Amino acid sequence: MIEVRNLRKQFGAVAVLRDVSFRASDGEITGLLGANGAGKSTTLRTICGVLKPGGGEARIDGGVGGLLDHAGLYSRLTPREIFTFSGQLHGIPRPRLRERVEEVLDFLGMRPLADRRTGGFSQGERMKTALGRAVIHSPKNLLLDEPTNGLDVPSVRALRLLLRRMRDMGTCILFSSHVLDEVRALCDRVVVLSGGRVAGEGTPADLCRQAGVRTLEDAFVALTGTAEVSSC
Amino acid sequence: MLKQVRIIAGKELMDSWRDRRGLLSAALYSLMGPVVVWLVSLALRKGGNAGKTEVLIAMMSVFTLVSAFVGGMNVAMDSVAGERERRSLLPLLMHPVSRRNVLLGKWLAVAVFSTAGLTVNVLGFGLLLGRWPPAALALCLVPLSPMAAALEIWVSTVCRGIKEAHTYLSMLVFLPMGVGMSMVFSPLAVRPWWNLLPVAGQQLQLEAGLGRGEWGLLRILVLALATAVLTALALIAAADRLEQDNVVYGG
Repeated sequence: MIEVRNLRKQFGAVAVLRDVSFRASDGEITGLLGANGAGKSTTLRTICGVLKPGGGEARIDGGVGGLLDHAGLYSRLTPREIFTFSGQLHGIPRPRLRERVEEVLDFLGMRPLADRRTGGFSQGERMKTALGRAVIHSPKNLLLDEPTNGLDVPSVRALRLLLRRMRDMGTCILFSSHVLDEVRALCDRVVVLSGGRVAGEGTPADLCRQAGVRTLEDAFVALTGTAEVSSC
Repeated sequence: MLKQVRIIAGKELMDSWRDRRGLLSAALYSLMGPVVVWLVSLALRKGGNAGKTEVLIAMMSVFTLVSAFVGGMNVAMDSVAGERERRSLLPLLMHPVSRRNVLLGKWLAVAVFSTAGLTVNVLGFGLLLGRWPPAALALCLVPLSPMAAALEIWVSTVCRGIKEAHTYLSMLVFLPMGVGMSMVFSPLAVRPWWNLLPVAGQQLQLEAGLGRGEWGLLRILVLALATAVLTALALIAAADRLEQDNVVYGG
C-alpha cells in the first residue's frame, strides 16, 4: 500500500508538485494519469525516494520496486547477472538469490535469454529485464513510469498480462501513463494529475460521474481543463 | 556498508573487463610512453648523445604519471557519465544503497584499472629500457592511482554524457602532462615545496629515483598523505554532486 500526503516538490523556481495526496491499495493497479509535465514522473521518483520531497510524505507499506525512466540496463551484462547484482544490493542471501533469479526468469518467460548480454535485446526484452530487476526482491509495491513507451503490440500485451498476474498476487501497482486506452485497459483506479495537483481520483466510472461525462477522455479533459488529449 | 561497496565495485570491474576495446586502448596508451622513450633513446644513442639520460628519465616520469590517469579514464567515463546517459543510474539509486556507497564502489573499480595502467607502464619501461624505480617509490606512486580515479569520478559526475566526459577527462590527462613537461623544460622554476604537491611531487620523486636511485621516506610519506587528502576532497565533491536532484535525470 502506498499513501501519499500533501507531496510537494520544486525545481528552482518551478513548482512541479504543489499538493499531491492519494492512496494506492494492495491487489490493485492504480493509474497515475496526466498530460506531459503534470508531475507523474516526479511523483513516482519522490515516492521511491530517489528525489527528496519539498514537503509532505509518501508512506510505503513493504518494499518497493520500480521501472522508471526507460529500461536503463547494462549492455555487457546478462539478465541473470543484472538480477543477481540487484538482488545482492537488496541484501538477499546468496542461496535464496540463486533460487529467486530462476523464479523471476521463469515468471517473465526469459529462460532462453538468461545468459545473453542485453546489448542486443529488443525493446520488449529490455523491458522484461528491467521488470525482472524491479521485482527481484519480491516487493509488495511496484512503480512503473510509462512502461509501454516504444513497445510493440505483443510486448505491450505481454506486459499487461504480467502486471495483472502481479496484481492478482496482491502487489500494489502504481502505473503512470498519458495514454487513456492504456489506463482504461489496465487500471482499477485512476488518479488524475494536473499542474502538480490531484484533479480527480476513483475508478474510471467514478471519474466520468465526477465530471458528468460519458467517456474517460471527456472526463480527463473536464477534470484537467485541457483539450489537447485525444484517444485513438 | 563495505559489502555494498564491494558489490558495486565487483559489478563495475566485470562490466569494464568485458569492454575489451576500452581495455585495449587504455593498455596501448599506457605502453605508448615506454615505446616512445625507447625509440628516442635509440635515436640519441645513434647520434652519440648518450648523455641525455636526464631528459629521458624526465620523459619516463611524465608518461608514468599520465598512465595512472589514462588507465581508469574509460571506466570512469562509462560507469558514471555513461550510467547517466543510458539512464541506468536511476534504477541503481532505487536500491537500498546510499549514494556514497555507489560512489565508493565505482571509485574502487576505477582505481583498480588506474593502478593496472600504471603497472603496465612501469613494466613497459622496465622491460624496454631496463630502468626500474626503487621499490620505496611505490609508496608515493600507488596513491596516485586512487587520486586520479577520484578526480576522474568527480569530473564524470559533472558531465551528462560520455561525449562530454571524454572531453573533460582528456583535459584532465593534460594535468600530469602539463605539470611534467613544464618541469622538464623549466627545471629552475621548481621549488622544494613542490615535492609535497600531488603529481609534481611524484614527478620529482620518480626523476630522483629513476635517475640517481635516491628517495626520502619522509618526503614520500608526506606526499602520499597530500595525495590522499586530494583524493578525499575529490570524492567529497563527487558525492555532493551525486546528491543533487538533477543527477537522476538522464540526457
